[in-house]
Amino acid sequence: MVMACRVINKRRHMGLQQLSSFAETGRTFLGPVKSSKFIRDEECHESVLISSAVRLLENLDLTNAVGQLLNEAVQAQNNTYRTGTSTLLFLVGAWSRAAEECLHLGVPISLVVSVMSEGLNSCIEEVVSLHVPIRNVFDLTDNTKTFSGLETSNVSLFPFLQIPSGTGLRQEEHDLKDVTSQSLAVCSLSGRPVKSPKLFRPQAKVETDKNTSQTPQVLKNSLLADTRCRKSVLTHSRHFSSRDDNHWISKPDGFLEQRGAAAPKTYRCDELVELEVGLSHGDHSSMKLVDEAVRLQCQSSGMQHGSSSGPFLLDISRLFTWCLPGLPETFSCVCPGYITVVSITSTAVIKELQHQPTRVVLIEGDLTENYRHLGFNQSTNIVTVSESTKFQQESLEELWTSHVLQVLIRFNVNLVLAQGSVSERLIEKCTQSKRLVIGSVNSNVMQAFAEASGAVPVAYVTQVKENCVGSGVYVTFWRNFPFDAAVQIQRIAIMLKTEGMNLVTVVLTSPIPAQMQAKEDRFWTCAYRLHCALKEQKVFLGGGTVEFLCLSHLQILAERSLHKGNQGCSEWLRNTSSWLASSVALYRPTVLKCLANGWHRYLSTLLCNTASYSSECEASTFIQQHLQNAVDSGSPLSYILNEYSKLNSGIFNSGISDKLEEIPRVYDIVTPKIEAWRRALDLVLLVLQTDSEIISGLGHTQINSQESEGFLFL
Amino acid sequence: MSRLEAKRPSLCKSEPLTSERVKATLSVLKGVVTSCYGPAGRLKQLHNGRGGSVCTTSQSAALLASLPVTQPILKILTTSVQNHVSCFSDCGLFTAILCCNLVENVQGVGLTTTTAIKLNKHLLSLCTEYLKSEICGCRIPIDFGSTQLLLCLVRSLLTSKPACMLNREEVEHISTLILRAFLLTVPENAKDRIILGKSIIVPLKGQRVIDSTVLPGVLIEIPEVQMMKILPIKKSDSFKVALFCASLSGDLSETGEGTVVLSHGVSLENAVLDQLLNLGRQLVSDHVDLVMCQKVIHPSLKQFLRTHGVIAMDRVGVALMEPLSKVTGTQPIGSLNSVSPSSYGSVKDWCTAKFGFKHFFHLIPNETTVCSLLLCNRNDTAWDELKLTCQTALHALQLTIKEPYVLLGGGCTETHLAAYIRHKTRDEPESILKGDGCTQTELQLMSEAFCSALETLAGSLEHDGGEILTDRKYGHFWSVQADSPSAVNWPDLLSRCGCGLYSSQEELGWCFLRGAHHPFMPQTCLPREASGSANDLTLDCFTAKLSGLQVAVETANLILDLSYVIEDRN
Repeated sequence: MVMACRVINKRRHMGLQQLSSFAETGRTFLGPVKSSKFIRDEECHESVLISSAVRLLENLDLTNAVGQLLNEAVQAQNNTYRTGTSTLLFLVGAWSRAAEECLHLGVPISLVVSVMSEGLNSCIEEVVSLHVPIRNVFDLTDNTKTFSGLETSNVSLFPFLQIPSGTGLRQEEHDLKDVTSQSLAVCSLSGRPVKSPKLFRPQAKVETDKNTSQTPQVLKNSLLADTRCRKSVLTHSRHFSSRDDNHWISKPDGFLEQRGAAAPKTYRCDELVELEVGLSHGDHSSMKLVDEAVRLQCQSSGMQHGSSSGPFLLDISRLFTWCLPGLPETFSCVCPGYITVVSITSTAVIKELQHQPTRVVLIEGDLTENYRHLGFNQSTNIVTVSESTKFQQESLEELWTSHVLQVLIRFNVNLVLAQGSVSERLIEKCTQSKRLVIGSVNSNVMQAFAEASGAVPVAYVTQVKENCVGSGVYVTFWRNFPFDAAVQIQRIAIMLKTEGMNLVTVVLTSPIPAQMQAKEDRFWTCAYRLHCALKEQKVFLGGGTVEFLCLSHLQILAERSLHKGNQGCSEWLRNTSSWLASSVALYRPTVLKCLANGWHRYLSTLLCNTASYSSECEASTFIQQHLQNAVDSGSPLSYILNEYSKLNSGIFNSGISDKLEEIPRVYDIVTPKIEAWRRALDLVLLVLQTDSEIISGLGHTQINSQESEGFLFL
Repeated sequence: MSRLEAKRPSLCKSEPLTSERVKATLSVLKGVVTSCYGPAGRLKQLHNGRGGSVCTTSQSAALLASLPVTQPILKILTTSVQNHVSCFSDCGLFTAILCCNLVENVQGVGLTTTTAIKLNKHLLSLCTEYLKSEICGCRIPIDFGSTQLLLCLVRSLLTSKPACMLNREEVEHISTLILRAFLLTVPENAKDRIILGKSIIVPLKGQRVIDSTVLPGVLIEIPEVQMMKILPIKKSDSFKVALFCASLSGDLSETGEGTVVLSHGVSLENAVLDQLLNLGRQLVSDHVDLVMCQKVIHPSLKQFLRTHGVIAMDRVGVALMEPLSKVTGTQPIGSLNSVSPSSYGSVKDWCTAKFGFKHFFHLIPNETTVCSLLLCNRNDTAWDELKLTCQTALHALQLTIKEPYVLLGGGCTETHLAAYIRHKTRDEPESILKGDGCTQTELQLMSEAFCSALETLAGSLEHDGGEILTDRKYGHFWSVQADSPSAVNWPDLLSRCGCGLYSSQEELGWCFLRGAHHPFMPQTCLPREASGSANDLTLDCFTAKLSGLQVAVETANLILDLSYVIEDRN
């Protein structure tokens, strides 16, 4: 065993260069308009169609250390949040270039690390002011608007670019009864230095309108308390006013509230739909399915529980996707219950079982004779001998099959769901006795049936007792499935349902089998986004707003530290006693500008990808212009928000100042986004601080002479 | 057919240290460990070059474990450092660098090996005596009535491992958690002997560091399905627990060699299952409330226990067995035959909890010296590093409770010690030599080599091209930007010393560490108020550093003493 050690950080930082070149491959995945890629394997001539950062890295051959770290970071983000991976990948590239730039300018590595990480922290604190609270919840009974009404709307990306289209959204003025206006009225002044204080009024002057009285809200709350599904209210009233005397006020909890000179005016649309459209990021077809799923879940949980405890959440574990490649997109749909296919030979059984509640048994493992539970080691040296020859090997299975059948008959069970595979012979036998056995059932589905039918999953059929058997499951044919397709594959689709079960099956179809995976990924991304937004009870004002605020915030920080010198900089360094602490001021503007360039690149790529601009250069100029304005205004936050409202009123307000139409907004989810930033920067800084690579277990011979330059052996 | 090969003669090399190749590899190893040292240390990517997992680290434990060296001399060095790390966790790089520096410096002096070794030993005992004495100027006694210094110790440890990727807020959070976890392991009513409990680190990768937390008791990860099956708790203040280390899966693991022949109709599986169910009946009749098994429990036995109101928890894993047996007071049961009632233990309470995507069974014992540190970090590499760091920090705290002192960190102890030794060897050489045949000149030479090894070690903390100063009052470590205008106004350029105890506002008489300067006696006896005032000190574990110093000098002596390397090439 020989240890090889390669110094990777001589003049140019190889690790950072590798990172930025890997990240470059995912550039086109940023934003709502994603271009797909083909990855071809030169050896076996297979190719895959991918359209997300995760799938890209999964299919690339990243055997070197940096590539593996990148893959690990992207996978970790995906496993935890299912979204934000493209952002992560892009920022890794942008910031590794930024770090390299710093090195070229002679900034010590330790300073790059400290200033960049503190710079990002500062950004994360700053963007709290762009939180949009989701004041619970949805009121489906009152809900006349469905997602499909918004399907055609074109949601643009950049706030300054919102392109409206004919959305049939109804406008509604708030009256005294409305809850949202009350929650809005309590405002306070926060002393954030970034915002120009003259824009704000002191708290003492906050108007004491009668609306602010808490009583109506309490009343309303108590009224709503006994329904599971309440109205979701997005209190982002600031978008809906065109007045010049808008006052943006940051509440202590970080949420922004707006006060006009007159009584607060807020507008409302179907809030759940608005949230969904905002979070769809252009992928309406997937979000439409999520919307239907959430409504179904909400309905069934409303039936199940009389009263609500906490806000309604989208239960991801009770969503089940079922992919049907080869069918047109229009067959995609959402159904309550569990949909699966069974052999066409079961048609008669299903006809028999239809329209009556069946009793169900859930099997945790395989349903075969030789299956043993996990952790059971089968002895290989046991031979069974018998005196008579009539007991043959295959009769063992026969014996087992008839035993299983006896159990099913004794407990009057007509439906068996197994997580693993099922013996063919058993299926045959059961079919004969009008019993349905379904194998390879997803564990979440099993869980849902266990909860709803009262069945207790068991490992072996011998374990079945009366209290393990569930009841009330209905089996029906699922008619949406086109008949010709069924005949072709010799299978039929069926649907299993139980009263009160919140399991929802999402049927995904795609005429192009290669796109199936991407479609499923996109569905899950949307589902997780909505889940996360509902869980966190807040979203970001999206469409690049957050990133733009970061960009301008860093710009201001950089400029300020140029003028102020070393004041208050020492806390920016991990190790305050080092000489670096006193040199922070010298390098800080440079490093912050490099970090800001990363955001700049992010935004211009975003604009470029959405085809708002033909070239990145053009997009860059556009951003530069707004950046200058934002920085000059002294308060980027109010600049952004004013641009927002100006835009809305400018386009929509046809002279009637208090009747504003709302256009769909773009929202981003909070924690996954911030985590993606942190992960990206962490990875870049990790690689930046790495100076050598230690490869164990390599012989001299394994490193060929071309590569061996720079290797040292111990 | 066997092939015979002539035995090759062994290879014998004399004076291995003089070989250029050995010198070169030694300097590569020194470069690797030196570049990792301290909060600004550079990281290393460790992997096997064939797509195995990548570990990014700057810690000696991780680094040396995957550094398979072939050179015998390097092996001596890495093995003794690893031994030190396995006993004390901390100060591994310190030991390795000091050892390399000593070997290099002593070779340059040109004294005979015996003299050098003898003098090295004298100097080492001078150091240890000083560090252990009351007049020591670089050690602070710990008052367990306040957490301030302990927090500083943990914080210093965390910040010295950059690969954990923590920001300031996260460092504070984790430091507090580590200290809390440690305090939870200290028994409440200590008699004359304290037996510390255990902190179990529970992994939760992919989550934010800030979501990490400490809980008293034991967390057992369980699948969601099992969570559903956990029965509601009966009201009681104590629950009876049985803990099995034997597998209850119902298989026949010990059928031995050969073939077992059974006649038809006999089922061994059923026989074993019957035995298991008998065991279950005994557990039920003994009123056991909770059965835990290191391995798998047969589903039928689980079902049987459940129907009788007993919770069954299997696949607990070997790592949790010792703490579980400790907190519940159970004797792990190793057989399926009748269970002696004395093996049962008890717990106070339990509940289920969900953290991230994982479900846990939370056992709250009567005796509360076991706690679980639920540790989160964003990705695997950073999590592994953080886990190792947390273990080191917990260990350092345990060592501190035994010897309640901490040493000043940030290079100050090293420079201070060097100044003290220089002064001592100049001032009272006779008392050091004790008439064992070495001359005073030899002592001066060796003392210079020894002190400069310490000072070079302190200088290794600097990785960004700064220069090191020392002050002539305390002998502390100060860093300054390279090419600073010489000595015009040091207080303006400097901020604080390495450990953070002194600020540059005092006139301390700075000079370059590497430059030749007259020996001075650093101020001994740390003022009492010094420890109380500063709340952001960089501190090192006393016991670990003292041992590291000894190991480094002794290993260096061993390496210097080598005259032949005999290699068996067969």
